[in-house]
Amino acid sequence: MKKVTVQDQGVVEKTKCHAAAIGVAMKESVYPLTATVQYPRQRKKMPDNFRGYILFDPDKCINCWECAFICPANAIRMKEAPNKKYYPTIDYGKCIFCHFCIDSCTDSALRTTKIHDVAYKDMDEMVTLTEEMIEPPEIVREDTKLVEYLIDDKDLQMKKTREVDNLFVDEVPPSVEIPVVSQCIDGASCIGCHVCEYVCGSGAISSSIANGVMNMAIDTDNCTGCGLCVKECTMQILKLVRK
Amino acid sequence: MHDADIKACEEVIEMATVAESKWEIKVPDKPLKDKVYFENLKSVVIDTEICSRCLTCASVCPGGIIVVGDKVDFPDYETKCLDCGACVRVCPRFVYEPLSGMGSSTAFIAGRSKRFAGQDGAMVTELIVSAMEMGIIDRGLFAGRNENWETEMFHVCDPEQLAITTLSGTKYTFADVLPELKKAVKFTKSGVGVVGTPCIVSGVRKLQQEYPIFREKVKLVVGLFCTENFHYSAISQYLCDKGVDFSKLVKTDITMGKFIATMTDSEVKFKVKALEEILPSGCNVCCDFTAVEADASVGSVGSVPGYSTISVREAIAVKILDYIKEKGYAEFGEADPGQLGFLVGHKKKRAENLKK
Repeated sequence: MKKVTVQDQGVVEKTKCHAAAIGVAMKESVYPLTATVQYPRQRKKMPDNFRGYILFDPDKCINCWECAFICPANAIRMKEAPNKKYYPTIDYGKCIFCHFCIDSCTDSALRTTKIHDVAYKDMDEMVTLTEEMIEPPEIVREDTKLVEYLIDDKDLQMKKTREVDNLFVDEVPPSVEIPVVSQCIDGASCIGCHVCEYVCGSGAISSSIANGVMNMAIDTDNCTGCGLCVKECTMQILKLVRK
Repeated sequence: MHDADIKACEEVIEMATVAESKWEIKVPDKPLKDKVYFENLKSVVIDTEICSRCLTCASVCPGGIIVVGDKVDFPDYETKCLDCGACVRVCPRFVYEPLSGMGSSTAFIAGRSKRFAGQDGAMVTELIVSAMEMGIIDRGLFAGRNENWETEMFHVCDPEQLAITTLSGTKYTFADVLPELKKAVKFTKSGVGVVGTPCIVSGVRKLQQEYPIFREKVKLVVGLFCTENFHYSAISQYLCDKGVDFSKLVKTDITMGKFIATMTDSEVKFKVKALEEILPSGCNVCCDFTAVEADASVGSVGSVPGYSTISVREAIAVKILDYIKEKGYAEFGEADPGQLGFLVGHKKKRAENLKK
């Protein structure tokens, strides 16, 4: 578990903070009822790894369905795309922002953003289609503008910030290399149904027939260790083992 | 490092040494070269009406799409068949060499269980439960039935489950044993015990011959003496016409050439020969009465009423019987293998049907 800590600030930084606090108090005495963050004109800085709006990269998706299987709120539905692959759609009416989908995504096709203020007009609109998850959501304004926003592509959050605190979390890279690969533990029991080959999204499993003998091979360099073949093998002879 | 961690590491290392990234599969021959394997099976076994409905094919079919009704079928096999050849590899009748006789029986014993009540001596139950107590197996497959006398499979992991009275008794209808065996093999830790008619025993042996996973996990195969078996739809219709009320039916039995259906208040009797019109075509060519490939076969023929005849073949069956004797779970007596001769001969004649 990562502990949320406050940065150890130097004397200068501490003095600045005190001055800022006194400033707020002064401001409050001149203009009463303005001490809290004036959302949306002021915005809090979100910590790294903040669990916000989820983005999706179809090029990285290997179609393993792990996100849909793991979702405890059953918010993820897989829908068929024109290229015959199945991609996730998220129903934000159900999503509890646990981000298990992102943690379980083997090829980091899903990633988090710091965008947290997305508004919908009705429940149907909350079902976010795959196309809408590729890019950060568009900012649509209907009010008379008091503040302007933009989405920072690098940090994936809405900008119009005034630093209020210095919360930070140790950053974890979103995808560490998975140290397992699929291997066959009982080749003689294989029935040669090719199901593993069909489900493998990374093309690591190959087969060839010569002289009445079928040769199956798993390319350990291409295997992402997603475990889809292990799950689908009807004879239960594939296992994930450490590289 | 904790002991548990070290153990886990060792396990992983061990697994890594066993696992391989390349392996070979023998591809079976196709009589019809350009057709999928199921079509080959269909033309050789199903359409020639020698299919015994043992369901070995359905149990290995990776898609699980082989449908089991009265007849084995595969809708849309042209497009849906994965063409792996597993069904052809395991079908006991694809290359059919009819078995008959007594097999390699070393002894015939009559026995009656003191612990369980069954139709005759309840020795099938006794064998499986004793094997479970000895730790040879941790799961036994039994064919039970529902109120309408349709067969249902039960996984028995604890002798207490045998309090279900519908597990004992003869049903005379096909049971889907082998698809359940595949599931049992998945769940079991030490081994599975299975009971079945001669065709099912042949299916199990064929699976064991082809796939090591079954050799490793299926430890005990008990055969049943079998003259024929019936499709549920056919026999239920026939018995209804004869005036059998399934809600009152207690027991079905064939003795001395007569089919006896015992109900709570009455009995319906008729000659077994009358059932020939609904005899499944697969049974019509079967010559195996005693399940010659089983570790031990059990049936009522050859011993006095209340006792079951056990035909002992493999060492494992001898070991279990010794255990039963030692614990005093059953009474034993003399069996008369001569009585079996008539039925063995009767079934042998059916080989002529195959030639036709």
